[in-house]
Amino acid sequence: MIIRFLQCHREASVALIILALFAGLGLVDPTYLSVDTFLLVYGNSLILFVVAVGATMVMATHGLDVSIGSIMGLAAAIAGILMNHHYGVAVSIGAALLAGLACGLFNGVLVALLRVSAIVATLGTLGLYRGFVHLLTGGSWIEGLPEGFKALTHERYFGLSSFAWAVLVLLIVSHAFLRWTKFGRSMFAVGDNREGARLIGIRVGWVQLVAFALNGVLAAFAGVVFASQIGFIPNTAGTGMEMRAIASSVLGGVSLLGGTGTVLGAALGAFFMTSIDSVLVLLRLEAYWNDIIAGAILLIVLITDGKIRETVDSLLRYQKYRKFLDPESGSASAAGPHAGVPSDAVLTLTSSEVQK
Amino acid sequence: MNALHLLKRWETVLAGLLVAEIALFGSMNPAFFAPSTLLYSTSDFIHIGITALALTLVIITGGIDLSVGSVMGLSAITLGLLWTRGVDIWIASIAALAVGALVGGLNSLAIHISKVNPLVITLGSGFLFGGTALVLSGLAGATGYEGISGFDPAFVGLANIEIVGVPLPLALFLVATIGFMALLHRTRFGRYIYLIGQNPRAAVYSGVPVFRTLTIAYALTGTMAALSGLIMASYFGSARSDFGATALMPAITAVVLGGTSIYGGSGTILGTALAALLVGYLQSGLQMVGVSSHVSSALSGALLVVVVALRSLTEMGHVYYLHRRVLKKVGSKQQ
Amino acid sequence: MTESMPAGPSVPLIEAKAIWKFFGGIPVLKGIDLTLQPGQVHALLGGNGAGKSTLMKIIAGLYRVDRGELFVRGAAMNHLSPVTSSELGIYLVPQEPLLFPSLSVEENVLMHVPGNRKELRTRLLRLIQEVGASLQLSTLAGQLEVADQQMVEILRGLIRQARILILDEPTSALTPREVGKLFERIRALTAQGVGIFFISHKLGEIRTIADTVSILRDGKIVLAGPPRSYSDAEIVHAMTQVEGKSAFEVDGVRPPPNLGREVLRVERLCGEGFADISFSLRAGEVLGLAGVVGSGRTELAETVYGIRPLARGHIFVDGEAVATSSPRHSLDHGIVYLPENRQLSGLFIDAPLVWNASSLVLYREPAWLDLAAETERFRRQIDLLGIVCSSPSQSLHTLSGGNQQKILLAKCLAAEPKVLILDEPTRGVDVAVRADIYRLIDTLAADGLAILLISSDHEEVQRLCHRVLVMDHGTTGGMLEGAAITVGSIARLAFGLTAARETAR
Repeated sequence: MIIRFLQCHREASVALIILALFAGLGLVDPTYLSVDTFLLVYGNSLILFVVAVGATMVMATHGLDVSIGSIMGLAAAIAGILMNHHYGVAVSIGAALLAGLACGLFNGVLVALLRVSAIVATLGTLGLYRGFVHLLTGGSWIEGLPEGFKALTHERYFGLSSFAWAVLVLLIVSHAFLRWTKFGRSMFAVGDNREGARLIGIRVGWVQLVAFALNGVLAAFAGVVFASQIGFIPNTAGTGMEMRAIASSVLGGVSLLGGTGTVLGAALGAFFMTSIDSVLVLLRLEAYWNDIIAGAILLIVLITDGKIRETVDSLLRYQKYRKFLDPESGSASAAGPHAGVPSDAVLTLTSSEVQK
Repeated sequence: MNALHLLKRWETVLAGLLVAEIALFGSMNPAFFAPSTLLYSTSDFIHIGITALALTLVIITGGIDLSVGSVMGLSAITLGLLWTRGVDIWIASIAALAVGALVGGLNSLAIHISKVNPLVITLGSGFLFGGTALVLSGLAGATGYEGISGFDPAFVGLANIEIVGVPLPLALFLVATIGFMALLHRTRFGRYIYLIGQNPRAAVYSGVPVFRTLTIAYALTGTMAALSGLIMASYFGSARSDFGATALMPAITAVVLGGTSIYGGSGTILGTALAALLVGYLQSGLQMVGVSSHVSSALSGALLVVVVALRSLTEMGHVYYLHRRVLKKVGSKQQ
Repeated sequence: MTESMPAGPSVPLIEAKAIWKFFGGIPVLKGIDLTLQPGQVHALLGGNGAGKSTLMKIIAGLYRVDRGELFVRGAAMNHLSPVTSSELGIYLVPQEPLLFPSLSVEENVLMHVPGNRKELRTRLLRLIQEVGASLQLSTLAGQLEVADQQMVEILRGLIRQARILILDEPTSALTPREVGKLFERIRALTAQGVGIFFISHKLGEIRTIADTVSILRDGKIVLAGPPRSYSDAEIVHAMTQVEGKSAFEVDGVRPPPNLGREVLRVERLCGEGFADISFSLRAGEVLGLAGVVGSGRTELAETVYGIRPLARGHIFVDGEAVATSSPRHSLDHGIVYLPENRQLSGLFIDAPLVWNASSLVLYREPAWLDLAAETERFRRQIDLLGIVCSSPSQSLHTLSGGNQQKILLAKCLAAEPKVLILDEPTRGVDVAVRADIYRLIDTLAADGLAILLISSDHEEVQRLCHRVLVMDHGTTGGMLEGAAITVGSIARLAFGLTAARETAR
């Protein structure tokens, strides 16, 4: 029963894992269990939250975007360059988001219109967009970002920075968007059964294109947050983010085969991935344990998930064929579904009988 | 007829592109033509090619292995750890290769048990193997970016040994190319690989040993990734856990650019080998003519995008053309 | 858009004129004329591959019309897309449910329906009651049984307030009570002027609900009119008759059996979809396995071949009990299965011909393949089976359906079977190839091969089989032998007509 519940509500199982992690932390030193620790982990998760939301959308449509790290880098570079040329912070961020939109749209065109496999198309743009970063920056880091920009992650209002508030709003809005709006649901429909979605009149290609475009904007936003957090922009900004984003979403119950998942789940997955880091630091363990823990838990969850689904499937299969397989009900109900046929229709004719 | 057939093959196009590319860079910087440059510049990227060869098998079966990058690091760290514990360097090398085979087999087992998409499983196992490498190097007391060094000079010298004038890493790549060509195109195992990728259901109906074949394919991929890790350890003279961090995407690019379908069922080793050289020389050639290595990675990305988009468009156009032709034929028959 | 169109009882909802459709160069629809009036239930009947579903998918906008004209409420609509067709009020309830397995029942039904969520939900709940279904709105569609999935599909069609509703075999998984309720809903809809296409295999249902019936065979309409003006026999005959001369006439009669020893015996087999099946098969014999689609024939064959688990019962080959645990195991015992769906489970469609032909015996080859010998063997098979191809290395999808089927036969024969199970061996092939396959089966039987033939084509069963086991809902419905095997006797058992009474007469 509990297993069934956890399977249907993957958010709950990730939440449990997170609780276990913090319980372990509490055992070591109860003073760590505070709002401050929570806010610290939340603050460290901002970037992963944003890209995980995007990954959730794309994966819902049965797509995959491995170029987000490069989009992040590109958006951060554009924002940084504009700001250093004394454009306003808002204008620069706007331009960065537009660049992300363009990148996302290009990915979407390749996948939805040219029917290139999503992983291949975004693998190509991963290199392409990263190259743009280097063309723009000439290979050097962007430093000396305006204080007003850095303040967006450093100055707190009611305990959270401006970007932290923005991400919170984003999480709520995108959760609601994917959960309750017609367009949000059609993303899941497209991913779950493309033909079926086409049949009921959903514009399949358009939905996919929008998912990639939004994902581009979100990746760009993540790049901006990243730049603001660390205060400068290295060439490698965002590298490897795609794997962490996908892993967070998958851990939170978003299926790579499309059709399932929630933003809440993906956010919890992202929170978990980050909290390992923070908890390790607090436990005074070396940070290098992070990936092995994340990987092991990800694999355990995935394999358990697969096993449970297999069990449910074989149960359903048994139900379907029960009347033939179960000796008790076998003879009684085998004739059940065709009650309309009189029993004397079941007969044996041999040539001798016919000749008579 | 035969010549035309050869011309239409993707490998021919790749070979043509490779020659044109070398000619172009050579004309821009004659130093590029020097045999030593052509041969030794491969050492920077050949580990990607070696891994891509085996990865081709996995992708033809309709699977994928995202953990190859991590396995490179894991193999190098295994070598380093054993070496620092006083194990003979050659025995340590064999152990590192065995670790590669083992984790590849584990990938296949996990996919088989969970029936989950290989993409997801190997994403998770990539974190696990990469994390293991990090932990091992941490336990060995190596600082993250220095790694474990001080290997036996004989081992470090390997990367610069020449075999018939060819540096050892490139020679290994060439031998592996021939070996994998034979394996994929001439053996029963290779045929199983194609059949599983073409139609896994029909493969089951035909009595193909699917799990065994997949396990061997993944284990081979792990082994080749481990070999790449060893080659890098020898080339750089040290072992780091993040060796393969940037190798995964180029390796997949080489396979896909080489003409292997990401959905499985078709592809050739020669295509992968040529594409690996094409992308690798593009990078080193651009560097030689003074373009930054990062811009060159953009160009290889653009190359991939253009190629796959063109292939997709050609296919769509071809289907449309065939359909029009059928309609036209029927139309004339009716009149 | 709807207002501007001329509407009224005189304008048919759908008017198709000489519609053609091709797949891979092969015509599937060959000039279909069809109309649907408001308030009419138009039944479509026909065998597998007759083109019913293709025709309906064209009307739903899933396929394009290749030739001919399609009018929807008087307006020419040759380039329907699913989007425009759903805007025009056309909804297709497909044969295989195209549900969203990871979404709830409620979402599946209400996805993309315009209107207020709450109201729609109320209407859905009312509708579920009206059709007498027992569905939880929150259940995931993927966890429903097939019957319930079909019900969800039907609900989808009903709630959309479509003007034109296409029901593709909606009753195949429903209970009689549910069918009755569904018919009530259909009548209520037609009273409001909705036009309904109704595809079914069940004559009784068609007589109950349809105003007019069109029978398709081989991409053409061969019989049309009110169902009461034709007898059951006429309809069955129109559905099953082979194009032009029947295959029966083309190829003479089945040769007398040259029976040898008993090769295969199964005793009280129970498995997924069948129970208590026993029969024996001798060398040189062709045993038919007839029955309607879904009567458990393919499941039985796949169980004997080791694809599906065997629940109970025994299988003997040459008197030796065998445990069929895997296809490899069955192959080793000389049991070979030619699958029903050649594209799905039989062939490797993009692989070279020679790879396909050798795929079943690959495991007997040495690890280092002898490609020359493989090609040589394939050339012999080409000659033996009369396969038309230009090169052993061309890929399979370049061949016609009939030649693909011959490649599949070559693949099975390469394994040198003792027992050959053929599942619909002539589905989707033309008359000439069909005749070739019949002659081949005759020859194989004469050479002492034991053949189990699954077929929905009753003339084929009559033409080829020495004995016929008719399966009915997973159990033995009857066994016919020798002269008792006629198209009529098989059809009566298979279509669930009152066979006993007719023979008594």
